[in-house]
Amino acid sequence: MSRQFPQKADTGSKASDDLLSEGHEGLRKIPDNEMIASYERVRDHQVQTGQDRTYPNIRRLHGTPFEREKDRREVRALLEKPNEMQAWYQMARTQPCTWWIKNHLVARHALKSCLACGVCTSQCPAAQYYEEYNPRAIVDIALSEDEARLVELLKSETLWYCGQCGSCKPKCSRENNLMGLISSLRFLAQLKGYHLASVRGRQQYAARHLWGGNLWNRACSLYFRNVTSAGHPDFGPRYADYHADIDRQMTRLGANPDSSGQLGGRKVPPETLAELRRCVTWGGTLVLWQRLEELALEDARAVGISIDEYHDQVRSEG
Amino acid sequence: MAKKVCIIGGGVAGMQVASVLGTLGVPSVLVERSPLLGGRVLKLSRTFPFFNDDGFNDGQDFAAALERDLRAISLADIHLNTTLTGMTGDFPHFRVALSDGTSTDVGAVVLATGFEPFDPTGLNEYGYGIYPNVITATELEWMLNPRGPTGGELIRPNDGKKAGRLGIVFCVGSRNRRINAPFCSRICCSYSTKQASTVMERNPSAFVACFYMDVRTYDRGFEEMYSMAQDRGVKYIRGRVSMCKQLPDGSIAVRAENTLISQPFWGEFDIVSLSTGMRPCSDVEKLAQILGIGRGPDGFFMCREWFRHPHDATRDGVFIAGCATGMKPIRNCIIDGASVAARVTALLRQVSP
Amino acid sequence: MTASTATTKVIPENDFFIPPSCILGAINPSTEVIITRIFDLLGLRWKAAGVGPESQCTCCTGILSHGDIMSIESTLLVVARLWSVAAEMGFENISPACVTSFAIHTECFEMYEHEPELTVKVDRWLQEACGRRLVIPKHIVHASDVVYRYRETLAQNFMKHRLVDKTDGRPLRVVDHVGCHYAKVFPEKSIGGADWCDVLAGAIRSWGGENVDYPERRHCCGMGFRQCMIRPNRGYTMACVLKKLESMEPWAPEAILTNCPGCNVMLDKEQWAVKELTGKTYDIPTLSYTELAGLLLGWDPYGVVGIQAHTVPIEPLLDKIGIPYDRSKEWQPEAQQDIELAGVRA
Repeated sequence: MSRQFPQKADTGSKASDDLLSEGHEGLRKIPDNEMIASYERVRDHQVQTGQDRTYPNIRRLHGTPFEREKDRREVRALLEKPNEMQAWYQMARTQPCTWWIKNHLVARHALKSCLACGVCTSQCPAAQYYEEYNPRAIVDIALSEDEARLVELLKSETLWYCGQCGSCKPKCSRENNLMGLISSLRFLAQLKGYHLASVRGRQQYAARHLWGGNLWNRACSLYFRNVTSAGHPDFGPRYADYHADIDRQMTRLGANPDSSGQLGGRKVPPETLAELRRCVTWGGTLVLWQRLEELALEDARAVGISIDEYHDQVRSEG
Repeated sequence: MAKKVCIIGGGVAGMQVASVLGTLGVPSVLVERSPLLGGRVLKLSRTFPFFNDDGFNDGQDFAAALERDLRAISLADIHLNTTLTGMTGDFPHFRVALSDGTSTDVGAVVLATGFEPFDPTGLNEYGYGIYPNVITATELEWMLNPRGPTGGELIRPNDGKKAGRLGIVFCVGSRNRRINAPFCSRICCSYSTKQASTVMERNPSAFVACFYMDVRTYDRGFEEMYSMAQDRGVKYIRGRVSMCKQLPDGSIAVRAENTLISQPFWGEFDIVSLSTGMRPCSDVEKLAQILGIGRGPDGFFMCREWFRHPHDATRDGVFIAGCATGMKPIRNCIIDGASVAARVTALLRQVSP
Repeated sequence: MTASTATTKVIPENDFFIPPSCILGAINPSTEVIITRIFDLLGLRWKAAGVGPESQCTCCTGILSHGDIMSIESTLLVVARLWSVAAEMGFENISPACVTSFAIHTECFEMYEHEPELTVKVDRWLQEACGRRLVIPKHIVHASDVVYRYRETLAQNFMKHRLVDKTDGRPLRVVDHVGCHYAKVFPEKSIGGADWCDVLAGAIRSWGGENVDYPERRHCCGMGFRQCMIRPNRGYTMACVLKKLESMEPWAPEAILTNCPGCNVMLDKEQWAVKELTGKTYDIPTLSYTELAGLLLGWDPYGVVGIQAHTVPIEPLLDKIGIPYDRSKEWQPEAQQDIELAGVRA
C-alpha cells in the first residue's frame, strides 16, 4: 500500500489544460463562471493514495496566471455590493492620513506619546541593518499630525524595512505598539497607492498573490511548493535534495502534501475554504486586494508590460 | 511641659525635626527601625553639589553631626530597633504603641520614613541580579565610599580587577509607564552626575558614559555640578539603554540609540550602574493603615493641601517630612524637617497653650 | 536567573486545539507532527483538524497580517472562526503550533479585552459570514508552553537520552532562540518575559543540557515575512543570522534550540548562506523543541524527526549524545515507509 505521487496528472479536460498554460491576455475572453468552474474542477480532481485522497493538480495551479486571474474575478465580484468593513475601507482611503491614525483599529491603539528615548531603534534589527532606518522617526511623523510628512513616509522605502519582529514592543516606556503602527501605515500606503513610489512598496503586489493566493485557494499562507531550492539557493544543497523529494519526505514524516489530512500541506474541503473566504471578505481585506490590482495594472501599463510580467518583475526587484 | 511629638524615622529628616522641636522646647519620641540614626545618608560617599563644603567628608560625617546636635539638646527620647505598632486617639490626644512594648501619649505624629531604592531585578533588560557587573547606584555609591568594601576604588565585582569603564543608566524604574512608574525620581540625574564626576576626578583616564533621557539637575548648584562633570570628561549620551548583556570576560555590552545624532550605540563597560528611581519605604502601606492616612498614585504619602500645607498628611495631627512625600535632596529634607517642626509646634500651641 | 523567570502564566493541563503552522507545514513538517506525537505520549486530548478527517483548520492569517495585506478585521474573523471550530469540539484551550499564530490569537484575545464592543461586532459578522458564533477561548498557549509544563515528565518517564556528552556526562552547551512573537509581542503571556524567557531554557536544563547566554541571544532571526520570502530583501535575514552566529561563537554552543517555525528554518538554513558569503563555517545544529524532544525520546532521526530536512547536519550532535542512526535511511526507499510509520504508531 505504498503511496503514489503522480508527477503529472490530467486536469480532467482538455479545456482546463489549455487554461493552465494561458497568460493574462488569453484568459481575458473566458467568462468568470467558466473560469472559476474550470479551476475548481481541476483543483478537486483526486486520486486515492492508500487511505488518503490526494489532489495532484494543486501543484499545477498554484502561482499560475490562471489562478491569479481567477482570484481577480472572484475579488471583483465580491466587491460589487460592499459589506460594512469594505465600505469602511473604501471611505477610509479617501480620508487624510492623520484621520487614519486616529481611526484605524490598530493605529488608534498603537500610539500614545513618545519620550524619544530610542529604545525602539536601539533594539530594532532593521535599524541595525539599514543605516537610514529609524523607527523612532516613524513615531515622530505619526505624532506630528503633519499630512505632508505622513505622505512622504508612506511613499518612502524606509516604511518597508520593519521586519515586524516586535523587538521594540516590550521595551517602550510609553507602551506603544510600533510594529502594529507600521503595519497599519503600510496598509494605508497601499490603499492610497503611495506604495508604488518605492521598490519595496511595489513588492506588495507579489506578496498579495503569494500569501493571498495561498490563503484564498489553499487556506494556508505558505504552500510547501513555494519554498523551492531554486528560489532559496541560500538554503544550501541539502535542502535541495530534501525538496526534490518533498512529497515523499513530507508523507514519511506524517504530513499531508496536497492530501486530505490535518497537518502540513493539507487540502481543506471546499466548505472550509468557503467559510475562510467569507471571513476574509467580511473583514474588508478585498478592498486592499482590489486596489493593489488596479494600481498594479496602471503601473504596468505605464511601463508597457503585461500584468504577469509586472508580477514577476516586482517580485525580483529590490 | 509641651505635648510630645512622635517622629517615625531617624534619618536626616527625622533627626532635623527632633532637633528643631528640641530648640523650640518640644519633646519628642524618635522611632528608628534600624540600629543606627542617619538612614540612607550613612552610606553616601559624599554630598553634593558642592562636595564637602560644610566640612563633612561623607554622609556618615554629616549624619554624625546631626546626631550630635540632637543629643546635645536631649529632648528626644530615641528608640532604636523599634517600629510603630499601633496608634489610638485623635489630634491632639494620640497614644502610640511601639514594638519595644512601650506606649506614649503624644500630641502629633511626624512621618520621616524616607524611601527605598527601586529594585531593578524585575527590569530584565539590564540583567541585574544575573550579571555580577551590573550594579545599582546604591551599590556604586558604597563602592565609591572610602569606608566601603573597596576603600573607594572602582572594582569589577566578577573578577576583582580595576574598573576603568563605567556606564551609568538613568531613569531605571522611573519615567516608565510600562512598569507603572510614570513619575520622575528627581534626584537620580544629580546623584549619578556626582558619581560620574567622582570617578573621573579620581581616575581621569576612566571612560564614564551616562545614558539619559533629560538631564534634570534642577537645584541650586546642580547644573554647575553637571557642567563640571562634563568638563572632567563624563560623556552624556541621550538614549535609554535597551539591553545589557554579559561578554565572555564579564564585561557588560550596552545597547542604546544616541538619539541626538540618530546613531546606534554599542559599547562595552567594566561596570554598568543602574540609577534606580525611588519607591516609598517598605512599610508604607502598614503605616498608612495604622495612621489612617492617604497615599498618592506614586505610593508616597499624600499631603492634604498641595500648596498651603505641603507637610500635613490627610489626617489632623499627622505630618510628613523628607522623602516620605517623594524624593528630594538631603538639603531639602533638612529644610522640610525644620518646616514641619515649626508647623507642629504652632498647631500644638493653638490646641494646648 | 531564578528571580526573573517567575511567571504568572497559566498553562492548562489538558485539552488542546492545535491550529497547524503554515511555515512548519511547508518547510519543517516533522516539528508539527511531533507535537501531536508528544501529546499522545503524554496521554493528552488534542485535535488539529476538525470533526472529520478533513481539516477545518485554516491559516490564522499571521503572515498576511504582518505582510500587510490583511485587514485586522479579517484576521479577527478568521481567528474567531478557528475558535468556533475548537469550541464545536469542546476545546477551550488554543495551542497553536506557530509562535506568530500564538501572538495573533493572543492579539485578538487582547483586543476583545480592550474593546468589548468589538466582541459584539465580530460575533455579528461571524454569524453573517459563516453562521458561527464568537466563543472566546479560556487559554491561549503555544505548543512549547505545553511541552514546558511537561518537560520533567518527559525527561523522567520517557526520554532515552539526555543532553550530555556520552563520553564524560558533560552537559551540552545549548543556546536558546525564543521566537520574537512568542515572548516580545506579549511578554507577560510568555514564560519569564522577553529577556529571560524560560520556555526553552527550562527544557534545556530539564533534559540535561547547559543553557548558554550570549549578547545577541534575543536578536531576531531576521525572518521578517516580507524580508525572507521576497528574495531581494533576504540580505536582512542573512545579516541577522550572521549577527547571532558571530555573537554566540565565543561560547562554542553545541546546538541551537528554537520554538518558532521561522527561526528554526532561518537559523539552520541561512548558515549555508553565511558560509557562502563569509567563507566561515559555523555548522551549529539547529533544532526545534519538538525535534530535540523526539531525538531524546529515541524516535527515529530520519523517519520521525526528519533531520534530513536540516541544512546543518544533526548527525554530529547525535554522535555526541550517543543517539543511534542509520545513515542508509536518510533518503528512505518508499517501501520501508509504512513499516517505519507503523513502528511509531505501535
